[in-house]
Amino acid sequence: MLSFGKTYSKIFSAHFLFSRVLFPIAVLAAGCSFTRPALADGDVALQEAAQRLAERVAAISGLHGALRLEWHPDAKWPEGESEHWQKILRDEFEKRALNLTEDAGAGVLHVFAVETPTQVVLTAKTRISGLDEVRVIAVARALLPPGSLPVAPVRLERQMIYESPDRILDAFIFGTGAEGGLAILLYRNFEIVALRVDSKGAVKQSVSLNPVNLKPSRDPRAEMTPRGSVVSVELPGKSCEFSWESPAEVKCHTEKPAATGKSTWRGTTLLTSPCDGSSWKLVRSESEPNTRDVLQVVPDGALRESSAAVLSEFPGPIVGTNGEQNPSSALVVAQNLRTGNYEIYKIKLACGN
Amino acid sequence: MKFTRLSWLAATNAAIVALACLGAQAAPPRYGGTLHIKLRASSFSLDPREWAPGSLSSAASEKLASLVYDRLVTLDDYARFQPALATEWTHDATSRNWQFKLRSAVRFSDGSMLTPADAVAALQSTLGKGFEVTAAENGIAIRAAHSTPDLLEQLASGRNFIFRRLLAGTLLGTGPFFVTESVAAAPSEANPSAIKPARIKFQANEGAWSGRPFVDFVEVILGEPPLRQLLDLQVGKADIAEIAPDLVRKGRQEGLRIWNSAPQTLVALRFDDTLAAPASDQIREALWLALDRDTMANVLLQREAQPADSLLPQWLSGYAFLFESPMNLQRARELRAAFPAGVPGATQPLRLRVDAPGDLFKLMGERVAVNARQANLLVQVALPVSGNNSAASAGGLHLFAWHYDSLSPHSELEDFVKQLLDARDLPGNATDPEQLFAQERRLLEERRILPLVLLPEYAGIRANVHNWNASPWGDWRLADVWLDSEDPMTSKAPTSPPKNNPTARNPGARP
Repeated sequence: MLSFGKTYSKIFSAHFLFSRVLFPIAVLAAGCSFTRPALADGDVALQEAAQRLAERVAAISGLHGALRLEWHPDAKWPEGESEHWQKILRDEFEKRALNLTEDAGAGVLHVFAVETPTQVVLTAKTRISGLDEVRVIAVARALLPPGSLPVAPVRLERQMIYESPDRILDAFIFGTGAEGGLAILLYRNFEIVALRVDSKGAVKQSVSLNPVNLKPSRDPRAEMTPRGSVVSVELPGKSCEFSWESPAEVKCHTEKPAATGKSTWRGTTLLTSPCDGSSWKLVRSESEPNTRDVLQVVPDGALRESSAAVLSEFPGPIVGTNGEQNPSSALVVAQNLRTGNYEIYKIKLACGN
Repeated sequence: MKFTRLSWLAATNAAIVALACLGAQAAPPRYGGTLHIKLRASSFSLDPREWAPGSLSSAASEKLASLVYDRLVTLDDYARFQPALATEWTHDATSRNWQFKLRSAVRFSDGSMLTPADAVAALQSTLGKGFEVTAAENGIAIRAAHSTPDLLEQLASGRNFIFRRLLAGTLLGTGPFFVTESVAAAPSEANPSAIKPARIKFQANEGAWSGRPFVDFVEVILGEPPLRQLLDLQVGKADIAEIAPDLVRKGRQEGLRIWNSAPQTLVALRFDDTLAAPASDQIREALWLALDRDTMANVLLQREAQPADSLLPQWLSGYAFLFESPMNLQRARELRAAFPAGVPGATQPLRLRVDAPGDLFKLMGERVAVNARQANLLVQVALPVSGNNSAASAGGLHLFAWHYDSLSPHSELEDFVKQLLDARDLPGNATDPEQLFAQERRLLEERRILPLVLLPEYAGIRANVHNWNASPWGDWRLADVWLDSEDPMTSKAPTSPPKNNPTARNPGARP
């Protein structure tokens, strides 16, 4: 009898980090570098890979005495990710009674990590009696935790509140306190799906818009807006409505061609300063899909957009902003070029630096 | 990573400059227009079964085929396999038995439905004898002769597309485009001594299951001279054009936007079996030691190539850095001095046949001859003459180009060995990178193949082309590209997809 492994849908589950308790802490930490917590499942795969390599190295015959570990991480890895790998590797080597030292005169154990399109290949190389001994293992990249990502210091308060391997099209925050949560519109397996997640990150409801014969689209534009008990979804050439109470009753209609060019698309996103009530607008560059975006917050009406700008670098292209619900905050959706995941950030202006 | 004040200032300035240059808000994507492309290969085939592994023309054919056909799965830039025609997949603990659930309601470009039988027929013909592909409930099952944990890598690359073969030999696809016009290269009417290049035109598939592509048409012209392609890009006659590595620097100097892939092509030497056995090991070793790969990469190819020490590139194997090819002229001369009289390379020249097309490879062959001469080895470059097989009979040594087709390093090395060394299968466990490394090391130590340089793929992209997001391994993903409406070469481009025109269906791609 066959026992089958994970399916696609099981492997790529979303990870929700939304928490009202965590948000104030993050606000205090604004200005410092932002590091994503590692995922437990991914660390297990990393640890197993380190164990396999350490076992193979420990089994090399003639390997005696102290060794100096020289670590050569993949050139693309950020420092935090590299250090995390090195620590786990070092721990595993030491568990197998390898005598690691910093002594410059000791024999060298080189360990290399290289990313290929699907794997991280770990290679250990050392020299014994004039001959190179090489041990190589590989681990699927998809099983590993996404790398920690350095982000430039910001003068905006911001926190990542949700991430997903699926393309996030839009999001809005609803309710407050325990009743509150996040509504997310995403493109999953060529279907447009609306999710309602609670403040603890659990998906409470999922509504597919495909039963109304929505065609798959390469156009990433989409907007979702709450209108009382109804949620309206604007897509290129289409307008849809549904309600969380009766999710089976999704209604869509085709917009007239004349209307599609203009649009109902959101205009400039404005934030109100909590200090003096002045308006600031969000400006993003016309990004290509493989560049990091810098979000610029400039005084509304400023003659030169670079004057008095507040800049915040995102880990990839910004695909949308939504500031319609709250004058003091906005949501920014960006793709993380390191992990490929789509991330939702909540941003807010703060007084001073 | 710690940010210093200086780096923050630099980032700030760069961002301001970028914003000033790029404008205030992201422009919405636009539908419509014709994307004009120029490829270097002079011929193509849209029948994946005809592609020779590793050939440069197959690489161009695969680029074109990806417009017309889909795969079961794709690989994104983040090491994640994404569903395409298969929505789910599972395998057993041995990784020999795989099952794929097919996406429902997918249609070919002629409107007919994709069935499991189509996927079975296509994959059985492309995967080869080691695999048994059968229809299963809502999908297909693949049974491999050996453990194949890298099956997804294989299915996401190379010739493993899904297509339907019609009785007339036409192949149909489910991809974002279909072929409307295909003209083979032929003598020009005005000047019969000149060749009119091959041309193929694709039209957007309105009913594509993956979403309509942004552009209406893609027009591809193949095999024009490299300098002409560069010029066409500069004057706006092409939106995307492949650029020969030796012209990349010129393109950069003239301000072109140039994209490059990870190294995609290995240029190497191969000894055939005609060399006299007693001295052949010494000849191979002496030439290996005489080769100056750094000069080839940095001078001849103006730093647009990498010296190659391995058969598989680092980005694919992950261990290529372990191989070294140190140049040692002194040792090469010592070996040469010990040659018995009469062996090729000593008193009679060793014939080097250049098997790859184009002036660049001929120049590399001449460079090899210069390196050999420095070690007192005689190498004479022989070019194959069209319609005459005299160069083929020269024998001895060949300069060839190998294009990496697969995302599976094991599969790639196996194809390489089958195609170039007449061996059958690689022994050992496909999944273990240490065994793969050992196999590659053994092959390199035989010195029958001497790697020279690795070439990335280069393409010039005009500023009117947006959403260019090619993969590092050379998948151009043209269905997601859109064009500025202001461009004089394109028609007026609306920001919403045009209405479906059910009559605009084509019989499909003609191989």
